[in-house]
Amino acid sequence: MSHPTKILTVDDSASMRALLLHALQAQGFEVVQAEDGIEALEWLAANDADIVITDINMPRLDGFGLIERLRSIARHRDRPILVLTTESSDEKKARARQAGATGWIVKPFDPEKLATAVRRVAH
Amino acid sequence: MNHVTSDASARQRVTVMQGQVKVSAHPDMLLTTVLGSCVAACLFDPEAGVGGMNHFLLSEPVSGRGTTADEHYGVYLMELLINEMLSQGAFKRRMKAHLYGGANLHAGMQRIGTVNGAFAREFLAREGIPLTHSDLGGTHARRVDFLPEIGRARSRHVHDARAIELTPVNRPVRATGDVELF
Repeated sequence: MSHPTKILTVDDSASMRALLLHALQAQGFEVVQAEDGIEALEWLAANDADIVITDINMPRLDGFGLIERLRSIARHRDRPILVLTTESSDEKKARARQAGATGWIVKPFDPEKLATAVRRVAH
Repeated sequence: MNHVTSDASARQRVTVMQGQVKVSAHPDMLLTTVLGSCVAACLFDPEAGVGGMNHFLLSEPVSGRGTTADEHYGVYLMELLINEMLSQGAFKRRMKAHLYGGANLHAGMQRIGTVNGAFAREFLAREGIPLTHSDLGGTHARRVDFLPEIGRARSRHVHDARAIELTPVNRPVRATGDVELF
């Protein structure tokens, strides 16, 4: 029996974390949550997630920094990382792509579209 | 589209329409809006001298769906406001909030104003942003004027129902949750 896809969501907003938790669990995914890039790195140092979904604007370490740090670690080099953000500028999107993001999703997110994207990038 | 006028004191008045977010650190800026069942959140960072206002309307929750698309929309508009303030030098941990609006204008209709006000209060509580002033509920529309640089607001009842009609209630035209895989 295959294990459910485990997703680490990274967002400093408690409200957004609650929406993501509800939406992703309802789709059968296992969900772990971190409040910013530093907390995500600390958790990933000792644990594994199949996919990371991260916000951009966060204190301490933002989404760009988190992606760059993960891509410099061998075991996270190919980890699917989806950016979920209110940012709509092409410049920010290009920066996420350059940092090594796997995909870009614009808030407010649609639970069905998000789940489809997760299934597409899950290894 | 911005609605900008100047009042007698040469202050720039910017109207915040439903679905919009405006943030400023300018001492001569006045953000203004008219609210029926909509809610406006005014956030302010006193140390940075940055403030902003949004203006949203959530419709009734979809029964049996748990969280709703409208909650997503409300969280989105609050996050847009917070992010714009961060980009102008504010810090979330220093932010304070005012809430206005959320009236139930017509007896016998669904209490949509109450739903909007409750959402906004819960959002602030979850995010740990102190609510320092609120004028929510009741049966009258309100005009709210907010000086973002000093975080001072004034809320007055509006008895002319036509004033409400100036505020469009259409959602911004944009796709939600668009996914682009690189």
